[in-house]
Amino acid sequence: MKINILKRLAILAALAVPVMAPSMAMAANNVALSSDVFVERTVEKPDGKTAVMLEAPKTVIPGDNLVFVVKYKNVGSTPATDFSVTNPLPKAVAFNGTSDGTEIVSIDGGKNWGPLSALTYTRENGEVRPALMSDVTHIKWKFNRSLSVGSEGKLVFRGTVK
Amino acid sequence: MNCARKTNLIGQIRPAGALARRGAMTLALTLSTMALGALGMSAAHAAGTIAGTDILNTAQASYDGPSGPVVIDSNTVTITVDELLDVTVASSDPGDIASDSGATQQVTTYQVTNTGNGNEAFTLTADTAKGGDDFDTSNAVIYIDTNDNGVFDVGVDTLYSPGSNDPVLAPDSSVNIFILSDIPVSATDGQRAEVELSAEAVTGSGTPGTSFAGQGDGGGDAVVGSTGADGEASSFFLIQAAEVALIKSATVVDQFGGNEAVPGATITYQLVATVTGSGSLTNLNVTDDIPADTSYTAESITLEGAALTDSDADADAGSFDGSEIAVSLGTVAGGQTRTITFQVTID
Repeated sequence: MKINILKRLAILAALAVPVMAPSMAMAANNVALSSDVFVERTVEKPDGKTAVMLEAPKTVIPGDNLVFVVKYKNVGSTPATDFSVTNPLPKAVAFNGTSDGTEIVSIDGGKNWGPLSALTYTRENGEVRPALMSDVTHIKWKFNRSLSVGSEGKLVFRGTVK
Repeated sequence: MNCARKTNLIGQIRPAGALARRGAMTLALTLSTMALGALGMSAAHAAGTIAGTDILNTAQASYDGPSGPVVIDSNTVTITVDELLDVTVASSDPGDIASDSGATQQVTTYQVTNTGNGNEAFTLTADTAKGGDDFDTSNAVIYIDTNDNGVFDVGVDTLYSPGSNDPVLAPDSSVNIFILSDIPVSATDGQRAEVELSAEAVTGSGTPGTSFAGQGDGGGDAVVGSTGADGEASSFFLIQAAEVALIKSATVVDQFGGNEAVPGATITYQLVATVTGSGSLTNLNVTDDIPADTSYTAESITLEGAALTDSDADADAGSFDGSEIAVSLGTVAGGQTRTITFQVTID
């Protein structure tokens, strides 16, 4: 199921953002990126079965599952090193994991970073518990390689509308 | 300079760390995503993100270019949070409400909660004709707990009129609702009556997922949530009636050791009050006239075998006013008896 979603996602993403806008490839701008948000809709097929489709929504309701897609491409003429992508999570969205699991997260607004399993949350009364997905405020991908000219990629994470 | 850097990076042989140490161009991407609360309210809300909230999503890249730091923005994706229509109704009455047949304007209490994410008005309906109970109450009217104290206050709480003062509830907020109805005279001890309050979103209700285009709070659509945008709950009346039966008997003891009702003989009257039913009688008083041609024997009243004084000024339950004895029994529950005795002598 997850693979299907991601396949559809790839198709939809490609349709929604056909090409990185040429204007972004000006000399000073070496990297182009786009952001897209999709929502999972359960659709009933004529044969009675239901399928989960991804749509680019204008509106959502609390409880909807969202898929965030960040596409990046080095459209410049020089490579980039120490490449990283950071995503502050909207307050209206609860983090629900990434597709690749290579991210690090912050639960304190971007001050401290680490894998979710390495973070702890301190309650007001001083009790310390393991950090939960619902605590996440920021997501970051750090690439330990440079982004060469012309190379591109896609980062995907999921969230639920609170 | 550019050329040399390019050569290094195209090679892609060296690890990134080595490139960084050489001072090669660094780049960081930031995707900034944020939600703007249309009502300025926190999104961390039990009912969900407030209807009309815009979720804005913009990717941002920053890096050090040949002439210094550069920041670029991507397209912005805007998604509006629709109104979710949800409501729950709960009875505030902890259990059956004891009542009597013929009692009027008996109160049942409910709480209506907007569990959706937008401001919504709700239509209220009272149903006293539910099946499965023993009788139906009548003349049902609905009141809104205007002063929010959870207790019906005559002259304070507002009479509800459908369509004119449908309560408008903010997300997650509640209102207390009262139904006043009359118990029929025909209701008998132990019978129950169900009184139901239902609340329905004015915007619409129905199958979860049903959408009302453009009718949502905040300008989006309104979508029926998991409650179907209507809810109901019931309270119950239980008739707890009680009756009292008074049985009087007399025992004569004459001054000769016999049982003849002759002048000078002493008559001991016994009054047994028997209360029956599932309810209780309050402020139950028993009085009995002293018969003609007899004289009351002072300080002879007993209750459950214990002596009572004749004075009405003291704390005990008995009194004699010169013509009748009186005993105040207070509240007596069904199934209990009280035995009173007093004595007279035949003139």
